[in-house]
Amino acid sequence: MEKENQPDLEKQDQTTHALTEQLQQKLDYVTTVRQAITAGDDRLIYELIDGDHYHQALLNEEPDSTRNAQVALITDVYPAISHYLSTKLIDYLAHEYPFFYYEETQIGEFQIYFGNWWDRRLFGKLNVLKVAFEFSSEEYNKLQQTFELAANHERFNTAQIQKISAGSDQLQKLIDAQSDRDEQKEELRKQLKENGQRNSLFDSGRIKEERQQIIDQLSKLADEDEQANNAHATMKDNEAKILTLSKEDTILAYEKQAIENAFKSFENFNERNRSLYVDYLTTLIGKAQVAADGE
Amino acid sequence: MANNEQELDAATLSTHGKLAMFNTGLKNGLANGEKFTALMDQLIDTTDGEVLLAAAQRLADFKLDTAYVTFPHQYNNADYYLIFMSRLLGMHNDEQAALNSQRHSESLYHVYEALSVDYTFLYQVVDNGNGGAYYREQTTGENLFYIHLERRLLRFNSEAFTNLFINQLLLKGTDAADINTVIATLIKFGHCLRDDFGFNVDFNILDVVNAAKYELRSANLDRAIVDKLFVTAAANDHMLQNSKQGQGAQIELRQGLTVDVYDAAEKSGSHKWVITVHDPEQAVSWFDVLLHFNFMRDWYLDNIDSLEIKADPLVFA
Repeated sequence: MEKENQPDLEKQDQTTHALTEQLQQKLDYVTTVRQAITAGDDRLIYELIDGDHYHQALLNEEPDSTRNAQVALITDVYPAISHYLSTKLIDYLAHEYPFFYYEETQIGEFQIYFGNWWDRRLFGKLNVLKVAFEFSSEEYNKLQQTFELAANHERFNTAQIQKISAGSDQLQKLIDAQSDRDEQKEELRKQLKENGQRNSLFDSGRIKEERQQIIDQLSKLADEDEQANNAHATMKDNEAKILTLSKEDTILAYEKQAIENAFKSFENFNERNRSLYVDYLTTLIGKAQVAADGE
Repeated sequence: MANNEQELDAATLSTHGKLAMFNTGLKNGLANGEKFTALMDQLIDTTDGEVLLAAAQRLADFKLDTAYVTFPHQYNNADYYLIFMSRLLGMHNDEQAALNSQRHSESLYHVYEALSVDYTFLYQVVDNGNGGAYYREQTTGENLFYIHLERRLLRFNSEAFTNLFINQLLLKGTDAADINTVIATLIKFGHCLRDDFGFNVDFNILDVVNAAKYELRSANLDRAIVDKLFVTAAANDHMLQNSKQGQGAQIELRQGLTVDVYDAAEKSGSHKWVITVHDPEQAVSWFDVLLHFNFMRDWYLDNIDSLEIKADPLVFA
């Protein structure tokens, strides 16, 4: 038995050897990550957590998934790594994007608020590990439209506000015309009475038709009366709607202004967002260079 | 016999007694009058604050007439408050609150040089058990403050200040500077009472201290009202910011002058929305903001049902 086992053992030895080798690589990887964190070498950490992306984006190398072979070892501590990396990243972003504010809702998870004004919008998330903004598409689209509409000197809700205001104006007219309607109703009722008193064998069709016309007009006026009666409530609703829309316009105007102050245009802003990873990592490399030169 | 004697005594005594009682009544009445004139001397001549206050306090509910002695010329009890106020301010070199007297009677009122003579001010004594008096503008009936000399307390009333000085005067063309002159005198009166006599003073809407929290009528303020300020502020080139004080908003009206509107409730679940005004010199009150910043004033007045600053509910129900 022993002899027969011998080749197995040898074979096992090779496998074991390979295993220890692999484990050593894993240990090395984890040790390097640990050292990078201890040394505050954020650039190295970014290279370690997604080497493939790092090499492609910064060194223009071809994709090679083996660069990320060990990454699975640390995925469970991503939130903590994200938390760690956020400090320097947010310092950098505070300078580049002075209008964004971040709130760590749970470890490593960051929500972005746009601006410091009243009722500023929750604008999306910051993915620290990927150095990328993940904007809420709804909010982003509103902002994009704001920039587009600005070319016509329009705000995001201008059309809607005009529509609602026109509705309120219409209602106001209905209210103002109450006494006119009252007069008309009185006149029509008089006509109706006269009509009822007329009794002609030959003309009954025409009289009926006339009667129906008067009744139709009266019911139209009654409808308008009811609308006028409800108008105050509707106008109040409209006011509340216009306030909400004006507030949104104000917020979007502030957002637009903030972007123009920092980036001149919405296009530049988008471009900077796309190159954020490279820009940030380049800064980290530059800083490491300065530190090394200084030594 | 015994009965007879008693009846006789009673009869004799009654004549003598009546005379004696009459005489005593006169003496007492005259003494009362002299006590009054002594207090009057103090009220109009003393330079000692405490003596002044004591005299005013006594005169404020002094009954000069007695059953035997009545005086045809008298002032109202309320008038002694006016005299006290003018004298106290005079002792602190403020002569703005000018005492005037009616032409054909002994009754006094205040007018202010900075305001039209249409506006006359006098005290209205509280008749019920609480005592004290309101300082009232006659034509509008606005009670600007409540004072209680014995309990040494003074309570300003935001509603009356808003109605009289903003709605009635400022919005109808009175110069803000003139309004300020009058307000300064009223505030000074509060300071004198507090500093000289230890009065408990609630300056309310006039309080310039940064720590002053002006409590809003609506404890749980509708956010739509803050939204309105946000929109109107933006239209006036001011940005309403998210407050650093938790739930609320902040606006900088000029360099260093900020107004906060926020929920100052200490317990979760409850609400207490307040306004605060901060400035480095602690010289600006919410009232000053209303006086000088049109869009803030419009916002306040348009939403007065919710925003009105609460005054002491015990005296301004």
